[in-house]
Amino acid sequence: MRAKRVAGGLAAAIALLAIAVVFGLLTGGVHLSPVDLVAGVGPAGETARLVASLRAPRVALSALVGCCLAVAGAALQALLKNPLADPFLLGTSGGAAAGAAFAAVAGLSPLVSPAAAFAGAIGSSVAVAALARRGGRLDLQRLLLAGLIANAFFSAVLLAVFSVASGQTARTMLFWMMGSLADATPGKVLALAPYGAAGFAVLVAFAGRLNLFAVGEENAAALGVDVESSKRIVFLASSLLTGAAVAFAGIIGFVGLLVPHAARAAVGNDQRALLPVSAIAGAALLVAADAVSRSAFAPAELPVGAVTAAIGAPIFAWLLLRNP
Amino acid sequence: MSTLLEARGLSASYGATPALDGLDAAIGRGELVALLGENGSGKSTFLRVIARIVPAGGGEVLLEGRPLAGFPRRATARRIAYLPQSTELVFPIRSLDLVLQGRAPHSRGFSADSAEDRDRALAAMRACDVEALAERDASALSGGETRRVFLARALAQEAEIWLLDEPTSGLDPRHRLEFLEVIARAHADRKTTVLLVTHEIDLAGEIADRVVLLRAGRALAEGSPRETLTPDRLREAFGVESRIVTDDQGRRRVVPYAPSR
Repeated sequence: MRAKRVAGGLAAAIALLAIAVVFGLLTGGVHLSPVDLVAGVGPAGETARLVASLRAPRVALSALVGCCLAVAGAALQALLKNPLADPFLLGTSGGAAAGAAFAAVAGLSPLVSPAAAFAGAIGSSVAVAALARRGGRLDLQRLLLAGLIANAFFSAVLLAVFSVASGQTARTMLFWMMGSLADATPGKVLALAPYGAAGFAVLVAFAGRLNLFAVGEENAAALGVDVESSKRIVFLASSLLTGAAVAFAGIIGFVGLLVPHAARAAVGNDQRALLPVSAIAGAALLVAADAVSRSAFAPAELPVGAVTAAIGAPIFAWLLLRNP
Repeated sequence: MSTLLEARGLSASYGATPALDGLDAAIGRGELVALLGENGSGKSTFLRVIARIVPAGGGEVLLEGRPLAGFPRRATARRIAYLPQSTELVFPIRSLDLVLQGRAPHSRGFSADSAEDRDRALAAMRACDVEALAERDASALSGGETRRVFLARALAQEAEIWLLDEPTSGLDPRHRLEFLEVIARAHADRKTTVLLVTHEIDLAGEIADRVVLLRAGRALAEGSPRETLTPDRLREAFGVESRIVTDDQGRRRVVPYAPSR
């Protein structure tokens, strides 16, 4: 019965992703007809396939970034036994953006930016955890407050650098702050993939432990989990995922918060099912959100973070009302 | 009787607040030991140190004469089951899955759901009268039902040592008796060693082989219920006066009352 529920959730997530990908390839500044794209002959068909092939890297990057953020959010929620945990709210995304922005301002190669973002994400995680620690333990209330402080700090840093920067640097800063998938290239997709795969693999290996953490840290300890080392590893893996996502797409909120909730409603809270379903649903959400950001006010583009918030906030409110 | 668990000069604290302060106590194999003492005397902390939730600040706990900290965590989790006083469930979880968590220390990757694990979990739920709740969301159960699900989990864990933190609080009379019966049966049939924290003095007197009275993080007295649950000892431990009466079944009862001024 439960296997059926998981299979159903997985199938639904895959179907959503497929729909989102088709939508993502067809819409944008120019709307393509599916008929032209698949069966079109002559100039119309060629144009459609050319435009779609130009959009493909952007769709792929959106999918990967969505995966990373959703999986990081799901793992953090279980680890901290807190449905509000999310790489954005905990300040991890802000740290990552600040790290990547500093690397960009310092004139380092864009290839270093994931490493810089990862370093920023880790730095922020460590600082937030240190602020939240009381009596040798991570206090959850304090954790969220510490995340708030970190976010305020990092956005101040980003704004300060933005205000003194000029030209290209200012545009780059804006990219980190607002989040964007506009600069997608096949190279970026290939560069992000290994980070995503590594973080996901580690977290899936910890799915059993995360199930015990979701009932409580003491629960995990009493059942034989080495709590401190597990926390470090899960924090590192989710910082890696967040850092990589931010390095290639800037700060995009709500994905890590919203997707695990929706996935949990579909398949329950067993992390062995929740992490993969969140990954696929996260990909679907961000591909769809990016397509909307390109087409809603074409030729102008909305920041994709504004779209995720606009989709996410009402659904989140609905989830909250439905599960008191 | 051989000593299974021993605390030597054990201390532990939460931040700057000391909870255990040089506790010495020995628990024999197969014993049912009741820990009594006023709030904050260190009873629960003692259980939590043995369950390896809270680290010892000084001194040590020995399991069969070897320091507990020297064992792999998973190895002691297979042998020691801990029943918390209360657990707030934030996320939905099927009751059966909660009971299956008792099998986690026995399983690779802490994920247990083989057919054998399921059978053991369901048998444990039957023994605790919660089999009918197996498919229900544990986060929506009543407090008493949740405790019984957690007891089923301790049973499914097949540990030789049970640490029970106020197991009977919040249970209605019938489920309280059934709960105690499950504990007594495990103690008798499986020779489970039980450490029981309770505020029910008469319960301790009835079911415990031995009582340890705690005060300010140390053992004030230990011995048979008859030796320890005396008006003098209880005055020292709790600051109350008490009378010993015999009920119409011939059982010894302790009736505390406020000290007269």
